[in-house]
Amino acid sequence: MTANIAVQEPVARLLGVTKQIGKKTLVSDLTLDIPAGQIFGFLGPNGAGKTTTIRMMVGLISISRGDIMIGGRSIRTNFEEAVAQVGAIVENPEMYKFLTGYQNLRQYARMVSGVTKQRIDEVIQLVGLNNRIHDKVKSYSLGMRQRLGVAQALLHRPKLLILDEPTNGLDPQGIRELRDYLRRLCRDEGTSVFVSSHLLSEMELMCDSVAVIQNGKLVDVRQLKSVGDAKAGPQSREILFEVNDPGAAQALIGGTVEAEGLVVRALRSDIPGLNERLIGGGIQVYGIKEVVVSLEDQFLKMTGGEGIE
Amino acid sequence: MSSFSALVHNENIKIYSRIRTWIMLFLLVVLSILVPVLTYVTSEPQYRPTMWNSFQMTISVMFFLNTIFTVVIASDAVAGEFSWGTIKLLLIRPWSRSKILLSKYIAMVLFSILTTVLLAVCAFGASRILFSAEGTSMPIGGWSPEAYSLLDIGCRYIELFLTAAIAFMVSSVFRASGLAIGLSLFIMFAKDVFTAIFNPERYEWAKYLLFTHMDLSAYLVADKGPGGVTLGFSIAVLAVYYAVFLLLSWVVFSRRDVAG
Repeated sequence: MTANIAVQEPVARLLGVTKQIGKKTLVSDLTLDIPAGQIFGFLGPNGAGKTTTIRMMVGLISISRGDIMIGGRSIRTNFEEAVAQVGAIVENPEMYKFLTGYQNLRQYARMVSGVTKQRIDEVIQLVGLNNRIHDKVKSYSLGMRQRLGVAQALLHRPKLLILDEPTNGLDPQGIRELRDYLRRLCRDEGTSVFVSSHLLSEMELMCDSVAVIQNGKLVDVRQLKSVGDAKAGPQSREILFEVNDPGAAQALIGGTVEAEGLVVRALRSDIPGLNERLIGGGIQVYGIKEVVVSLEDQFLKMTGGEGIE
Repeated sequence: MSSFSALVHNENIKIYSRIRTWIMLFLLVVLSILVPVLTYVTSEPQYRPTMWNSFQMTISVMFFLNTIFTVVIASDAVAGEFSWGTIKLLLIRPWSRSKILLSKYIAMVLFSILTTVLLAVCAFGASRILFSAEGTSMPIGGWSPEAYSLLDIGCRYIELFLTAAIAFMVSSVFRASGLAIGLSLFIMFAKDVFTAIFNPERYEWAKYLLFTHMDLSAYLVADKGPGGVTLGFSIAVLAVYYAVFLLLSWVVFSRRDVAG
């Protein structure tokens, strides 16, 4: 693996993946490249087929049609070599409760070659479980189990880390820590991360790109970082003026009146001038801010605000 | 790739890290010593059995417990991973499902060998200390008491081995350890009743039933088994059932979707 991750092949490819159980199609003809060296979000409402897709990616359930390649190896025909490049937590990280955290890690370390004692300690350090690693897992909190789950997934230095709803049951502090060490992992070890969630705001903070899935179908794939880059350029955008009399303000500078105030489409450099005109016209301005279309809004637009069919 | 023995080692750790396992081993040791002791305490000195009689009796009593304990371990082998949810982490390692299943089966058989040896040693030791090796113990079927005792254990172990295979199969097919324990123990206790109802002397087809052949000890004293079949026939029937049990476990375990 070279350090230059930008030009790499996708770490995993989903090729027309379909999962059918009886007459129900849980995932339908899903084609998706998961880029290397990124945190890639997999977004969708509950029941959209996220977990089903992840289970197919790690070979827990069979693929009805299509194939999944991980690092160029098919999970169908070359399972052992394909899955060796993956570390995963599928739903909750359930561990052997009667063993200690350390004994649990030893279990998984024995199943692959090349995981030294030193590596185990390194991973424990990374997830910050040093103090409790020799306690039985039954005494762990959900957050600690989540960390142990991440630790077992990282032991063998996988190319691709797959996390299914990793923020479930974590407190804000835990979510923040998870985000931080996923970033570190991605940056320092070059691990690609594939993370599913229905929490849009979380994904917005965590991911470089997201794919949106609904009712088993891929709805959209977009790069979040490029959206951020575009903001830097001299583009007009929606500016919200919070004023005492939006109607009067509209007469002065145009725009549309909305519930929160007056929304005007303008360049960033125009804002002080507009403000001056409002003040000159006797309008009281309480606040000026850019209207950011959050991922949540985009998501609701994409999925039409629908639930599960 | 790490070696297959590491998988068996993992399974052993899962078995012997649980307190339950040590309670079973403890009970087995204590009871197989206690049975000869109670026999000694409750019998008049002139009617005391010989050492070999005491040993055989202890084995016959204790093998029920031995079978139950092995069935408990066999039933949890696959079903336990499903009920703990750990199956999801176990099956995403670079090992085929067949090898993971095999490692579980081997660990279970190793446990049954351990318990059998443990119980035989304890039963023998206690009988040896308390009872005399001399005496009027009749040679059975022309075997010396030593040889007969050993063959008797062998026959009982075969029964246990098959019962455990049933438990293992139910465990991996239905993923329910309670069902596996219940069903296999029911078979253990009910097989004599079944053999009595479906008597191979009366029904020709009954000689192809598993129950008819599970207890091979009849061959220690006679050439012909139930329904006039030979030892070879009985072994062949048992082997076919055994192969079917393991094949079913394997097919279901290696194909099934792990969801929910």
